[in-house]
Amino acid sequence: MTAADSFVQAVQVLPLRLRGEALSLLEGDRARTEELRLRAGWPMTALIAGAERPLGGPPVEGEELDQLVEIASRASRHAVLDQIRRGYLTIEGGHRIGLCGTAVMREGEIHALRALSSADLRIARQVEGACAPVLDGLCPGGRLADTLILAPPGLGKTTLLRDLIRAVSEGEGCLPLRVALADERGEVAAMYGGRPQLAVGRRTDVVEGCPKAQGLMLLLRGMGPQVLAVDEITAPEDVRALTAAAGCGVTLLATAHGEGRADLERRPLYRSLLEEGLFRFLVGIRRDRGRYCYNVEELR
Amino acid sequence: MMVRLIGAALVAAGGGWMGIQAAAGLRRRARALRQMAAGLALLEGELELDAPPLPQLMTRGAGLGQGPAKELFQGCVQGLDHLDQEGFAPLWRRLAGGLDELGPEGQAVLAPLGDALGRYDIQRQQEALAAVRRRLEELAGAQEADSRRQGRVYQALGLSGGAFLVILLL
Repeated sequence: MTAADSFVQAVQVLPLRLRGEALSLLEGDRARTEELRLRAGWPMTALIAGAERPLGGPPVEGEELDQLVEIASRASRHAVLDQIRRGYLTIEGGHRIGLCGTAVMREGEIHALRALSSADLRIARQVEGACAPVLDGLCPGGRLADTLILAPPGLGKTTLLRDLIRAVSEGEGCLPLRVALADERGEVAAMYGGRPQLAVGRRTDVVEGCPKAQGLMLLLRGMGPQVLAVDEITAPEDVRALTAAAGCGVTLLATAHGEGRADLERRPLYRSLLEEGLFRFLVGIRRDRGRYCYNVEELR
Repeated sequence: MMVRLIGAALVAAGGGWMGIQAAAGLRRRARALRQMAAGLALLEGELELDAPPLPQLMTRGAGLGQGPAKELFQGCVQGLDHLDQEGFAPLWRRLAGGLDELGPEGQAVLAPLGDALGRYDIQRQQEALAAVRRRLEELAGAQEADSRRQGRVYQALGLSGGAFLVILLL
């Protein structure tokens, strides 16, 4: 699917008037549009190459935001309530709609969002081949080794993780392995209707929507994985689940927020990862003149 | 004379038949109301099972439901592909209003359910379904009682009306 096709697929969830506005963009702009932003009382804008520009139509109405959610959820709010509580919806094609409004709180937790005020339609684009620069280095003897991808937000950790999962699952440039993915926030595989909307390979099993640690244990018990993948280790339970999995002989593939190895050693949560010797390789990412550069470091 | 007798018998039988048809109409409505109530019970069960999104819920309902329930759920499945043109609540209301076999009362009971389905949490949806199902069952029960009571009246009226016509004609 081309970038322009992805755009056309994503805007199908917009109410008719707004869809018409979005489709009035020229083909080249459609392909470069990263997001469409809808704010009640303001015209819809498109984020193109990092700059937000109004599309020139009348202001977005609150009712149109409700209609957007109805179309995106296929009139099934109950089925996407957990996603709405987290502030976004995943739709067909792996596109995501971020939502803002007045939070309805129950027992200290967000129960729902009412009086929607903003929505952000993010257009999914897969970068197949993103892992090519590092794949050989992470597969000594042709088999993926335990790998931790470490970088600050916005540098493409999830993109690299997704492509590594796809490559390993497909046996593209390495031994094909069964991969099990704990995708708590649905950002890696973007499941919709029981199918991944982003390519994660034919030998990949995905559990999404549950806390990572629980998901990892479910996958370990039920799916007999050879590789266990998880995006963003954030809690001690995640580390405990990964440690348990490592004890079962499963290869680990994970991401974490951080600047580099020194950052890992400084933070107690991550320090335990190093002390346990869970990962053999550490992949760092940085951006240099608009290009992603990877650094693979052997930890053990 | 024979022809007159046969004609008289036919007129009397015709009157009786009209009475039977009127009673059968009441029974048909009761059956349609029961089928609709059973369809809603199906939805309750499916929601309990795995809380599917409405397109799946309606597809399952259309597959297992009968009579007006099947018709309604099939209409919903089709309409859910065009939510940009008509929201679910007005769609449900429109489709429910087209189920003539339920009668005006049955339609009126069913119509507001679309405001709850898919919108509230599972428990609230089940409660709404159960409330409408119970009301439809009550209506069906009342129709059945009417059909038993009035059926006999209609048949008697039909037969006596036929006999009256025969006397007039002879």
